[in-house]
Amino acid sequence: MFKNFIKIAWRNLWRHKSFTLINISGLAIGMASAALILFWIQNELSYDQFHENKSRLYVAYNRAVFDGKLWCWNTTPKILGKTLKQDYPAVEETARTTQSNFLFTIGDKHLNLPGYFTDPGFLTMFSFPLIKGNPKTALTTVNSLVITEKTAIKLFGNEDPMGKVVRIDSVDNFTVTGVMKDLPNNTRFDFEYLMPWSYLKKTGGDDTYWGNNSVQTWVLAKPNITEEALNKQVINVTKSHSDQKDDEVFMHPASKWHLYSKFENGKIVGGKIGSVRLFGIIALFILLIACINFMNLSTARSERRAREVGIRKVVGAQKGSLIAQFLGESILLAFIAGIIAIVIVQVSLPSFNQLTQKQLYIPFNSIYFWLAGLSFVLFTGLVAGSYPAFFLSSFRPVSVLKGTFKAANALVTPRKLLVVTQFTFAIVLIICTVIIHNQMRYAQNRDLGYKKNNLVYTMMSGSIDKNYKMIRSELISSGAAVSVTKTSAPMTEGWSDSWGFDWKGKDQSQKIDFNVFNADGDFVKTMGLHIVAGRDIDIATYPTDSTAMILNEAAVKIIGFKNPVGQIIKNGNNKPCTVVGVVQDFILQSPYQPVKPMIIQGPKSWFNVIHYKLNPNNSTADNLKRAEGVFKKFNSEYPYEYHFVDEEYAKKFNDEQQVGTLASLFAGLTIFISCLGLFGLAAYMAQNRQKEISVRKVLGASVSNLTGLLSKEFLTLVIISFIIASPIAWYGMYTWLKSYPYHVSIEIWVFLLAGILTVIVALGTVSFQSIKAALTNPIKSLRNE
Amino acid sequence: MIKITNLEKFYRTEEVETIALNKLSIEIATGEFVAIMGPSGCGKSTLLNILGMLDDPDEGSYIFNEIEVAHFTERKRADLRKHNIGFVFQSFNLIDELTVFENVELPLIYTGVPASERVKRVEEVLDKMQIMHRRNHYPQQLSGGQQQRVAIARAVVNKPKLILADEPTGNLDSTNGNDVMELLTDLNEQGTTIIMVTHSEHDARYSHRIIRLLDGQAVVENIMV
Repeated sequence: MFKNFIKIAWRNLWRHKSFTLINISGLAIGMASAALILFWIQNELSYDQFHENKSRLYVAYNRAVFDGKLWCWNTTPKILGKTLKQDYPAVEETARTTQSNFLFTIGDKHLNLPGYFTDPGFLTMFSFPLIKGNPKTALTTVNSLVITEKTAIKLFGNEDPMGKVVRIDSVDNFTVTGVMKDLPNNTRFDFEYLMPWSYLKKTGGDDTYWGNNSVQTWVLAKPNITEEALNKQVINVTKSHSDQKDDEVFMHPASKWHLYSKFENGKIVGGKIGSVRLFGIIALFILLIACINFMNLSTARSERRAREVGIRKVVGAQKGSLIAQFLGESILLAFIAGIIAIVIVQVSLPSFNQLTQKQLYIPFNSIYFWLAGLSFVLFTGLVAGSYPAFFLSSFRPVSVLKGTFKAANALVTPRKLLVVTQFTFAIVLIICTVIIHNQMRYAQNRDLGYKKNNLVYTMMSGSIDKNYKMIRSELISSGAAVSVTKTSAPMTEGWSDSWGFDWKGKDQSQKIDFNVFNADGDFVKTMGLHIVAGRDIDIATYPTDSTAMILNEAAVKIIGFKNPVGQIIKNGNNKPCTVVGVVQDFILQSPYQPVKPMIIQGPKSWFNVIHYKLNPNNSTADNLKRAEGVFKKFNSEYPYEYHFVDEEYAKKFNDEQQVGTLASLFAGLTIFISCLGLFGLAAYMAQNRQKEISVRKVLGASVSNLTGLLSKEFLTLVIISFIIASPIAWYGMYTWLKSYPYHVSIEIWVFLLAGILTVIVALGTVSFQSIKAALTNPIKSLRNE
Repeated sequence: MIKITNLEKFYRTEEVETIALNKLSIEIATGEFVAIMGPSGCGKSTLLNILGMLDDPDEGSYIFNEIEVAHFTERKRADLRKHNIGFVFQSFNLIDELTVFENVELPLIYTGVPASERVKRVEEVLDKMQIMHRRNHYPQQLSGGQQQRVAIARAVVNKPKLILADEPTGNLDSTNGNDVMELLTDLNEQGTTIIMVTHSEHDARYSHRIIRLLDGQAVVENIMV
């Protein structure tokens, strides 16, 4: 019986090639889209879930109340890890990490590489296996170094790296004591090497101050210790060891690191899980839409299949065996589509990876992949085939064999419902896509408060700090730059914030958090900021400016100064500083958030970055060449590296850009698949109504009359879809936009645009068939009767 | 074999109720060859469908082989049907996507006959219908007469006790039509009961008895000699 089913299914598909083509291509595209999304979701869900100790791994968080809100953050004091391991019985092991960036030198090879300082426990807590070396001892000596496979090849080519010596920053020699398997594509950790914490301590980078939250602390709990029990133990560790009486510590488990990392008022409110759910829904719907195509086309063809059903029933088929037959057919179709989908996925993965910044691949060697793929195909086949199977198998043989069976009107309602479902989803996606793009453009066009073009920065490595004055003057004298300033952080990043400031009249019960930025002079000029009151920091003219300060408008507002210039503010070390100027608010961090109060401290502070405004009279390439000459002269061992501020700023939109591009992509695919189905459906509708069309034509109807008649029905469906889709899209986007304090309003034209666009596309699809039907010679179909 | 008593069947649309069968009572014995005649709309086909258990009556009793089947569920009817009844239609009703062999094989598949046995039986019946040389052809490659032979082969392959034929020669020329009637007569002589709906007096003469219907009632019975 099974062989018979397959045979007839195959012949049926072969015979109606255009139907098969539409169905299979729709299903294949739908399956490929869903598969791509599922690969992405699988990758997101698997983040750091490969650690053998994952159920016992945590990262330490602080929480404290500022400005009336409970804030959570995962930078901790350096002393926390050590204290937890020593004094808290629930903790088995801890490791701190902080980022480092060093120049590696081997012979005449120089490479600037990012890595971590960490404790020896890191290698045993996490499942980052060493290919060479002993994880228990690889980081125990001060000058030991663990590198990844990739870094090993960069540094030593194909030679065995173990025991080799690397010079770091021209200061110290390190010996390679371990080679680590390259990090997988689903971990939050990102480093090329690990260096022992003991080296950081030796060079003065360690401290025991409980108020300095600057490193991450990873915790491995003892077996059988629950999260609750662990938290109960550690909650007061800061309070009991320091005078930070407001800070509490809690543990964030590994299972939530990647997906649930957004805290609001002390509670987890989501994170990446939102995108995962959103795209999960999109995947499901795209697949559903492809299945709906199948259902619609299969039922539309029912008049053809009805006779077969009738005959089979007459010769003894039970309903069950007919259902099995039709399901078998749709599963066969899904199977073919599945194979094509694998090809599509394989071909499109490189572009998809680029888009999502992932390294996804099809795990052809994994049995689970094939099992999942097979169930995916079965699922699709069952969903797509269910309605046609039950629908077709319920035909009564008497009516179909005697020709009284009229399919066209009998099944109008469910099919219409399916078309409406398809188009509702497509319209929702279009509206959302447009609004996401709007929001992005809105934030991109927001006034930055400074001029980002031609602005370049270089990190202060090696001898740059020492030779800063000469570098600065030669950058200008060489004509590479018109203005230079050194700062604590790049202009696009907030590296520091503090609530340790004090001033006359401050309400001491209130904690106000300021962004802290340092600049030595010419800050306003280099960045192109707008001075609202006072002046720029200028140590050459005003020697007392070593302790000068600039405030932004938001800071002035929250402090409440009437005349800010000349006011004294004490910084975290209780040193009085004088406010010399006020600048208009500028965006340091998120372009979607209001600008935070900010204090720019003068020359007597710490610096990491040189910003320079390139000379507008030269070409960029020329400027960079001149700048390179200057940096090479004063910092010869380090490669010259630079970043354009406008490029770095553009990266702030990466996440939204990604969501926007994916949404457009899937909206486009949804429309395409829906129209593919509509095209087929219109063809069958036209076929079914051929006699009616002929009679009307004989009676004098024009081609445009007939085209209108045939298209009208579909148009109504699209309009109904629009009416259903609009509030759904509105609600979804309203919720999404709410998470951005700085956002566009939802405007009516977006809905109209989506509606009109869909109508045009649908009409275009349907009218091809309608016109074709209307142009057919009426004699032909009337003679057939 | 068949006994129907006061059988009624109505067709309703929103506005009109049509009586297709009006308290019809008929008895047909095993081994009989009965022709049912009458003008269009007299209820011939309705009667045939009910006798074939493709449709159920609204009122009355239908006893088939001493079993009351008038209100059987579809499942039970299908079960009884596939073991006992073969159908021959005016428009042949072969499945276009299946070959001659596969079309004839179909009833055997649904009654669960094993594959080797199926081949034997299909070949046997194709041979008997003199259509063996066409076993791998598709219906649309055959003439009308050949298609009806295939349809008859399919109807008898399961060795049914009863064959219901709905104008079996309606789409055929007279030569092919006569061949089909000869085939049915042969089957009847071998013991199969045959009930045939026809418009053709010529075909009706092959039967033992003609039941003439008018407005859902039996008006005349002619016994043939």
